[in-house]
Amino acid sequence: MCGLTVKRIMARKKTKSAFVGIKMTSEQAELLDRLQRVLNSATKTEVLLKGLDLLGKLYPSTSIPPPWILLGEGETSPPVVTNRELAMLEAEARRYSTNVQQVRNKTKEVMKQMTQELSKTDRIVDKYKGDKSSLIQLLLELQRENHWLSEEMLKWVSQKMDIPLTQIYRVATFYKAFSLVPRGRHSISVCMGTACHVRGAPHLLDKVMETLKIRPGETTRDMRFSLETVNCLGCCALGPVMVVDGKYYSKPSTKEIEQIAASD
Amino acid sequence: MTRLNSSASVEKKRQEILNSKDQKKLYVTICSGTACHASRSDEVFQAFVDEIERKGLREKVDIGRTGCHGFCERGTIVNVFPKDICYLQVKAEDVPEIVSKTLIENEIVERLLYEDSNGQKIIHENDIPFYKRQNRTVFGNNRLIDPQNIDSYIALGGYTALTKVLFEMTPEQVLEEVKKANLRGRGGGGFPAGIKWETTRNAPGEPKYVIVNADEGDPGAYMDRSLLEGNPHSVLEGLTIGAYAIGSHQGFIYVRQEYPIAVENLLVALEQAREYGLLGKNILGSGFDFDVKVHRGAGAFVSGESSALMTAIEGKAGEPRPKYIRTAVSGIWEKPSNLNNVETWATVPLIINKGAEWFSNIGTKGSKGTKIFSLVGKVNNTGLVEVPMGTTLRQVVYDIGGGIPKGKKFKAVQTGGPSGGVIPEEFLDLSIDFDELSNVGSMMGSGGMVVMDEDTCMVDTARYFLDFLAGESCGKCVPCREGIYQMLKILNRICQGEGREGDIELLEEISEVVKDFSLCALGRTAPNPVLSTIKYFRNEYEAHIYEKRCPAGVCKALISYYIDPEKCQGCTACLRNCPTGAITGGKGLVHIIDQEKCVKCGTCLEVCPPRFSAVTKLSGVSVPEPVPQGTKVIRKGDRKK
Repeated sequence: MCGLTVKRIMARKKTKSAFVGIKMTSEQAELLDRLQRVLNSATKTEVLLKGLDLLGKLYPSTSIPPPWILLGEGETSPPVVTNRELAMLEAEARRYSTNVQQVRNKTKEVMKQMTQELSKTDRIVDKYKGDKSSLIQLLLELQRENHWLSEEMLKWVSQKMDIPLTQIYRVATFYKAFSLVPRGRHSISVCMGTACHVRGAPHLLDKVMETLKIRPGETTRDMRFSLETVNCLGCCALGPVMVVDGKYYSKPSTKEIEQIAASD
Repeated sequence: MTRLNSSASVEKKRQEILNSKDQKKLYVTICSGTACHASRSDEVFQAFVDEIERKGLREKVDIGRTGCHGFCERGTIVNVFPKDICYLQVKAEDVPEIVSKTLIENEIVERLLYEDSNGQKIIHENDIPFYKRQNRTVFGNNRLIDPQNIDSYIALGGYTALTKVLFEMTPEQVLEEVKKANLRGRGGGGFPAGIKWETTRNAPGEPKYVIVNADEGDPGAYMDRSLLEGNPHSVLEGLTIGAYAIGSHQGFIYVRQEYPIAVENLLVALEQAREYGLLGKNILGSGFDFDVKVHRGAGAFVSGESSALMTAIEGKAGEPRPKYIRTAVSGIWEKPSNLNNVETWATVPLIINKGAEWFSNIGTKGSKGTKIFSLVGKVNNTGLVEVPMGTTLRQVVYDIGGGIPKGKKFKAVQTGGPSGGVIPEEFLDLSIDFDELSNVGSMMGSGGMVVMDEDTCMVDTARYFLDFLAGESCGKCVPCREGIYQMLKILNRICQGEGREGDIELLEEISEVVKDFSLCALGRTAPNPVLSTIKYFRNEYEAHIYEKRCPAGVCKALISYYIDPEKCQGCTACLRNCPTGAITGGKGLVHIIDQEKCVKCGTCLEVCPPRFSAVTKLSGVSVPEPVPQGTKVIRKGDRKK
């Protein structure tokens, strides 16, 4: 749509008489000349904006700008256009350029994150270089470091260790220690071993589920807590037991659970 | 550290360590096993460090950590030497008092001592009835050893067995000794270790591997963990001796990932052993090479099975394989591999030092030596117990365990974890022995002993174990994968109150198939909890199915909470704490539970003051019609204190 409009504008310029309802001075003609030169060398967005900027100067007006015109930093009044089509064109162009810029930035950010992640992964993978039988140990370290195993990480491991990706997923899905989805910042594990079960672990689990509003294997929406059940932590004398980030809680009361859930 | 490289160097080092120690110096040890760690032993340790610094006693007092003592119910355990005073349930706040009274003024803090049933205070740890009635040959040294310091192990005679083996015995002689002692595996299978070693030694193929199975998957069992955390060198020494006998030069220790402290202490122990020349090339100058790699598990119960474990060490998913060819002949990378449990390996140095005859004099005809059990559940003295084979269950549960808390009635003791069964009261005088326990439908297993009382539902217990096994089954073979799942479905129905005529027979029928045709021991022993609970507690199953009643008051779908209008005093405690707002009433008015809203959480029963005891659990009977709203309570004349 935009291209078409610019073309129309350019077409009108050529016919010199034909800017509908618009008189042009030599100044204005010069501006439009510059626009053409700009057209040849810049991106579409820049051209559009530049063009609109220049065209705007052709149509000064004191009327109040329509609401879809976006004001830039420090601008008191927008490049004023009275023609509604031009106004919409400008808004579109601005939105387009902001989006493009955002996407560019986001891509840069994502690429930066991915490179960081992969270099962390690399450091760990290099430790086990070549030894395919230590795949489980390698994945355990990655899990410990990142709290989960992302697809990119596993693909990278597959490449570097020369192990088929299916085999890596076989191992990653077989063992409970690995998580293929992001986990919360804090992990809460409730022991469901036989001794704790006999001492009321299901009741404790119910209380925790009620407080956090998630089930075992899930993570709270704000990514703070992940809940898990484990089978025996080996401190049966203290049952039922709950571990939060490595800190053990024996027979926690509802209040204690709520306090933990409210903390960061 | 200087390398020890001759047959006399271990003994020399031992003398050196003993001489350098001032036996009269004050020495405080703080138990740092996982259970005590959970009781905040780290804080206690730090409190001691700080307080001793504050009082300027750093030159006069040594502080150290030890591994698990076993009396986990009373952690954190603190010992003060040389007087050997034992303080129980020590918290960080108690430390200043201990330092000022015991360390400075040489007096005892009475309130932290153990008090026996007669009110008598006991000072020394070994006099405490819990310990006195045990025979702690394998586990006893935990209280004296700092697991991160190899010197404390050597000081107690560590590595003398290895010295003897490397310089005075041939591999065949070691094999003969272990066979003569009739050491049976402590991991659950109970297979004679000597014969397994011999099979591996004679199997064709190099290299041969020796493996320590520290996967300890049975929920409720933590003996191996405490041994590894508290005395890792005993396991290493045993492993090295075994490697020598078998002709292996590479060992693996497979530790489950839920044991981070065990892994840490193991790695430290391995480092220190290597520095001393007790591991690695040319051990003690004898020409024998042997080294060990630690491999961490990743959370799979089935990977504790020997063939599955070896597959996991190869870096693959730890699934068992059919054992037409034993792993002793074809194990890791199809080479002969000998796998034994942690406790088995830890017993080996004792057999070498004290002789096979000494070992076989302890225990019964079929089961020699001692065994460590984790006594947990509804018992007063929860912890790790080491007794000679042949001790009766009654002695363990009552004399050592102190009986059932809150005066409840004993119902059964469950041994062998998810592969074992329940043993009811009539068999309490059974001696602990591999074969005896199998004969009553249970098994020794790795040593988990869970005590259950009248408030434990046997049907729920069977369902719990099947639920666990269904999640852990690798899924390779149909009998286990489908059989366990179907049995679980039936049990779930029964616990929901939808049990049908013929369910018990169906469970027994499926059990037969699963037992006889599963690929590995997980499937083969999976029906044990079901079969033994049906055998001894059939009446509970029948009550669930025909009467829709749970005698123990556990299965939520079969119980209702009811407030007795004649006992309720209208204190509003239950109303305020009910999570779903199911209770209506007010001060001085009878409280009524709305059965539709009730989620059977049991909170009302917990908070009702014991002197009123107005909340009861009903099962198998319909809930009486509620009294009209606003009925006043019947005030009790005099309150029972």
